[in-house]
Amino acid sequence: MSSMTTTAALPRAALPARRVTALQRRIRIERTALVLILLVYMIPVLWLVATAYKPPKDMFSSPPAFLFEPTLLNFRRVFEVFDVWQLLKSSLVISIGSAALSLLLGVPAGYALARSRWRYAIGVAYLFLAVRTVPIIATLLPFYLMMRDIGLLGTWWAVILINTTLNCAFVTWMMFSYFRSLPKDMEEAALTDGCTLWGAFWRVALPTVTPGIIASALFCVMFSWNDFLVAMFLTNSDSKPLSVALLAAFGTKDITWGTLGALAHFSTVPIMLMALFLNRYFVQGLTKGVH
Amino acid sequence: MTSATSTAVLPGSKMRRSGMRFDDRRKLFLLALALPAVVYIAVIALWPLAQGIAYSFFEYNLLRRGGSKTFVGLQNYVDLLTDKTGQRALINTFVFTIGAVVFQFVLGLGLALLLWRDSRFNRICLAFLLIPVTITPLVVGLIFRALLAVDYGYFGYYLAEWGITSPRGLLAGTTTALPTLIFVDIWEWTPLVALILLAGLKALPSDILEAAAADGATAWQRFRLVILPLLLPTVFLALVLRMMDAFRVFDSIFVTTGGGPADATNSLMVYGVKQGLQFFNIGYASAIANVSILCIALMAAGFTLLIRRADVKANEQ
Repeated sequence: MSSMTTTAALPRAALPARRVTALQRRIRIERTALVLILLVYMIPVLWLVATAYKPPKDMFSSPPAFLFEPTLLNFRRVFEVFDVWQLLKSSLVISIGSAALSLLLGVPAGYALARSRWRYAIGVAYLFLAVRTVPIIATLLPFYLMMRDIGLLGTWWAVILINTTLNCAFVTWMMFSYFRSLPKDMEEAALTDGCTLWGAFWRVALPTVTPGIIASALFCVMFSWNDFLVAMFLTNSDSKPLSVALLAAFGTKDITWGTLGALAHFSTVPIMLMALFLNRYFVQGLTKGVH
Repeated sequence: MTSATSTAVLPGSKMRRSGMRFDDRRKLFLLALALPAVVYIAVIALWPLAQGIAYSFFEYNLLRRGGSKTFVGLQNYVDLLTDKTGQRALINTFVFTIGAVVFQFVLGLGLALLLWRDSRFNRICLAFLLIPVTITPLVVGLIFRALLAVDYGYFGYYLAEWGITSPRGLLAGTTTALPTLIFVDIWEWTPLVALILLAGLKALPSDILEAAAADGATAWQRFRLVILPLLLPTVFLALVLRMMDAFRVFDSIFVTTGGGPADATNSLMVYGVKQGLQFFNIGYASAIANVSILCIALMAAGFTLLIRRADVKANEQ
C-alpha cells in the first residue's frame, strides 16, 4: 500500500489483485476513522438540537436525562417570551443590508484594483485585507461616539455601517483576487469591438465571477448574522437582532436551556442550511477569500 | 495614478468622441469604481482607528468629569503593561492563541490527509465537518457552557461525579478554565484549518508526488520530504489566519466565563470591551485595542515573510 495517488490514477484492471484489496482496506480504515471523528464532533450540535425538544421537567434533572419524550413546548414558549418575527427581521435587515452595501462598494473596487496598472494598486488591496484583521473593539469605541453624535445610535443603520467596513474590505480583497486570476483578453476584445468601459466591466467581466460574488455575499451575511458584540452596543430593544436577544435571554430566571436551544435554532439553522446547500461557494470563500 | 505602459490598439473613433486619450479615460473609470469603497473605508474604518490612537494618549472617561480629556502621554500603555489584570490578559491571549493554533494545525493536518482522496464520501464528510464553523460563536459558547455545567450538563455532571474535575466544574476552576476555552476554540475552528490545508494538498503537483511514490519512498518519507515542504506556504497561511482570529477571541469567553474566574480567562478583547463599553474608559480601552493591533500586525508581518520564503523554496524544488 505504497501510494494513494498513483493507484487511484491507474485503471483498476491494470493492478495486481492484492494491491487493490490493500487500497480498499486502506479506504475502509480511513472512512471508519472519518465517521468516528464526525460522530464525536457532532455531539455538541446534536445536544443543541435535542435540548430544544426536551420537556422542561427533564431540563435540569441531575444526573442529566438522556432519554426524553420530544416536545414542541419550548418553541411555544419562545414565541410567548420573544417577539421572534421582529428579531428575525432585525437580523435579516442587518445582514442583508450590510451584504448588499458591501457588494455594491467592494465588487467595483476589487475590479478596479485588479485591472489598474498603478503600481500601488496591490498595496491598496493589501490595505483592505489589513482592515479586515483589525479587532473590532479598536474601531467600535470611536464609531460608537460618532453614531451618538449624528444620532444613529440604536438604529439598524449603525450596525449595517460598521459591519460593512469589515465586509466591504473582505469583498474587495476577495473580488480583487477573483478578477486578477481572470484573463484580460475578453475585456480587451470587447473594448476593441466598441464596448464601453462600463460594459466591459458589467457585461463581460462580472458574469464570469458569479461564484466569487455568491461566496462573498454568503460570508457577509454569515458575519453580520453571527455578530453580537457590535449589535449589543449599537442597537436598542426595538432594533436588536437574534444574537443579542439570545445573549440577553441567557441567565434570565424564567428562560430554560430548552427555550434558549429553541431560540438558537432560529439563529443557527438558516446559516447552517445556507452553508450546506451552497457548500461549493462556502468552501471557495473559506479558501480563496483568505489568501 | 501614473502608468507608463500604453493599452492595446483601440479604434480612433473613441478617442475623438470623448476628447480624451483612452488610457486616461480608463484610469478615471477605474478610479470612479474604486473611490466609493476607499472613501467608505477611510471614513468609517481608518478615521475611527486614527481617533482610537489619539484617545489612547488621554485620560478619557465618558462617565467621569463630564467626559473631559487630559493628556497623559504613554500612561495608558504603561498601566496596561504593569497592572496585574492587564498583564494577565496579555499572557492569556498569547497562551490561548498559541495553544489553540498548535492543536488546530496538528489535528487539521491529520483531517486534511484523511480527506485528501477525492470521493463523494469525503466531500459529504467535509460538508458536515464545516457545521461548527457556521454556528454562531455565541451559541457555541452557550452549548459548551451547558454541556459542562456540573449539575445538569452531559459532560460536566459525570466529570465532576467521577472526580475527574473539581466539583465546581471545568469553567469555574482558575487552572482549568483557560484550557477548556482553548478546547472549545479547537472544536470550532479545526475544520477550517483542515479545509485550507486540504485546498493546499489538492493543489500539489501530482507528477512530483507520483515520482516520489515510484522511487519507493515510504509514506512517512513522502510526507516529510515531499509533501510538507511543498505545503509549507499553505501551512503558514492557515497558521497566520487562525492566529489573527484567535488573538481577537471574544465571543466564546464572554458568554462562558466573562473573563473569570479571577481574570483566569480574561483576554485582551474581553478586557478592552469591559473597559471601553462597560466602564466607558475610552483612553485605556483604546490603548488595549492598539496593543492588540500591534501584536496582530507583527504576527502577520512575520508570517508573510515566512510565506514568501517558503514560496521561493517550494518553487526551487
